Amino acid sequence: MQIYTPEGQVGEPQTSLAPSPSVLSGKRIGVLDNTKPNAGILLNRLASRLEERTKAELVTVETKNAALAAPDQVMGKLTKEVEIVLTGSAD
Amino acid sequence: MVLDSVEMVEIGSDDPYEVSALYAARGWGDGLPLVAPTADRVNEMLASLGDVDPDEVIATLAPRSGQATRRTIAVNAVLAGCSPKHLPVLISAVRALSSPEINLRGVNATTHCVAPLLIVHGKYADEAEYNGGLGAFGPGNISNAVTGRALRLILLHIAGATPGNGDASTQGGPAKYSYCVAENLKDSPWGSYASTTGVDAESAVTVHCGEAPHNVHDMESSEPAPILDKISSAMCSWGQNNAPISQGEYFVALCPEHAMVCADHGWSRGDVASYLFQKAVVNVGEVREAFELRAWEPWQHALRDRDSIPMTSHPGNIKVFVLGGAGKHSSIIPSWGMTKSVTVPIMA
Repeated sequence: MQIYTPEGQVGEPQTSLAPSPSVLSGKRIGVLDNTKPNAGILLNRLASRLEERTKAELVTVETKNAALAAPDQVMGKLTKEVEIVLTGSAD
Repeated sequence: MVLDSVEMVEIGSDDPYEVSALYAARGWGDGLPLVAPTADRVNEMLASLGDVDPDEVIATLAPRSGQATRRTIAVNAVLAGCSPKHLPVLISAVRALSSPEINLRGVNATTHCVAPLLIVHGKYADEAEYNGGLGAFGPGNISNAVTGRALRLILLHIAGATPGNGDASTQGGPAKYSYCVAENLKDSPWGSYASTTGVDAESAVTVHCGEAPHNVHDMESSEPAPILDKISSAMCSWGQNNAPISQGEYFVALCPEHAMVCADHGWSRGDVASYLFQKAVVNVGEVREAFELRAWEPWQHALRDRDSIPMTSHPGNIKVFVLGGAGKHSSIIPSWGMTKSVTVPIMA
């Protein structure tokens, strides 16, 4: 006999990641801190290391609530001012 | 094999343990025996809905971006042990879950123990035999149990809220198995909760994403204030997300006897919420010592240590409804925090 599987189809994802740049030198970096504990420390140190190693430049540090999407204002600023965004940190 | 946009698999029998084992091997199920979702059973469910498209996408559920159609909802309803009368509630609940206010991605993905509570209101609650009376949170009532379970299966399977993958809840929680009640309208002195949300329908369902209920007992009071003082003390627990977030809702499930004490003294549902808002406050300095307060607004940070701050930012965040049977036990259901409840009419 046959039974249905329970998952159904997957729809189109609302967003997708942009392709990573092959060269970081000279790129403008933004940090999007989700305000989870230590996220800012981790992401800003990572940005500093990238600045040292690749001559990319940390331009701006923005914050968002970890449980919500970033506000349009923040996304607009990042889109306008940087080419690389460092984000994503859990508890 | 693909039939009607949903895949089917071979199985030796429709024994619930065999279905559960086959599903578990594929990472599906809630750990309990499952009713085999055969084509006959699913089609019987769908036929009860009348002339509607079974493959219309009702909602796309995060984080998996799974498409919930009437058919996939019916598959999960059969798995949970539902009968056709439960399907309209589930379809409506899925619509509610997909509302942006719910923030389903956050609800499913957080490390918190949040689970969606379904509250069924009005005529359909009676017709489909949902329990808002004695023992409403369970166990024992079939409609409450299977509908709540089916919604969890929908979240596991369609939404992808799999523990460790789509669901990061640190400890999980019993409310993640099944969490569904009816509003006890028969014993409520204030009329339907759904009407207070602007939903003008004879039947509706509310989705509130919160913790498991916390009991509040008051055996001795014959006036509203002492009863509500005990409820406000439960609302002030620092273990709740509202302590550092202050934006979340509370659902306050008053038992009929507590509700009647309030109503007999001329208190409306709104009066109860306003009183609780005034009383459920904590000291700012103590909160500052306990939390990093990343979710506070600038005006909150401007408060002095000696000031008080309400546990939720607005009296409208305190939602009062009547639940339960004889006895003097009420409960509160604190929110996860970054979510708002949604009430929708029951529509297939």
